[in-house]
Amino acid sequence: MGVTKEQVESSLRSKLSPSHLDVVDTSGGCGASFAVEIVSDQFEGKRLLERHRMVNAALVEEMKDIHALSITKALTPEQQLKKQQESEKSQVAI
Amino acid sequence: MSLSLTNLRQSVPSPWSSIRSLPSNFPSQLPFTSAVGGGRPLVSSRTQTLRLRCLSALTPELKTTLDKVVTSEKVVLFMKGTKDFPQCGFSNNVVQILKSLNAPFETINILENELLRQGLKEYSSWPTFPQLYIDGEFFGGCDIVIEAYQSGELQELLERALLS
Repeated sequence: MGVTKEQVESSLRSKLSPSHLDVVDTSGGCGASFAVEIVSDQFEGKRLLERHRMVNAALVEEMKDIHALSITKALTPEQQLKKQQESEKSQVAI
Repeated sequence: MSLSLTNLRQSVPSPWSSIRSLPSNFPSQLPFTSAVGGGRPLVSSRTQTLRLRCLSALTPELKTTLDKVVTSEKVVLFMKGTKDFPQCGFSNNVVQILKSLNAPFETINILENELLRQGLKEYSSWPTFPQLYIDGEFFGGCDIVIEAYQSGELQELLERALLS
């Protein structure tokens, strides 16, 4: 009945070809709740709402059995790089 | 601000009254209810919902009602539970954010009406709740609200919406 982390990952990989993907099963084992961090160049020029819609669309089959999907990050590779540089900078500053 | 909101509410009472009274009279307004039930009395609302799920939950009537509801207030939140008693952590997050910003908002408890719940998923093209509408437009779910709150975008948008 539940969905596996691997199913979520494979759907996202095949549809959004992410350069970074982190899927965490937050359901405590029943497979009904996931948190997703995704970086994909397909998000280029898209607003956050559109990016979330793309993730939801990629998981349309899985969503039938998932009760809660938390998209904690949906970035373009460029944004991801910028964030990393910023966090490195702030670490240097400390 | 409170004055203008009161005026707003008085000028558009119909969608609110119809949504508020949904649990008792809503399903009977749906034209295909009896057709789906094959003329037999429906055993329970649960059975009815399961049957209806095969069809589109978003009837033209529901769409018209929702068009009015999402524009009847500047900020409308479809959530699990109520403003004072959220029944889901994600819904609670959004309620707390809106409260902390002192934004006036209306909430609609989707747990009270399964048809509304299913129809809204199609209406917003969004699979989960909560769903936040600002100025009649779908803004996003919990993650988007949190991110927009942290970036300051939500505050800006709310200010603009509430002033307009």
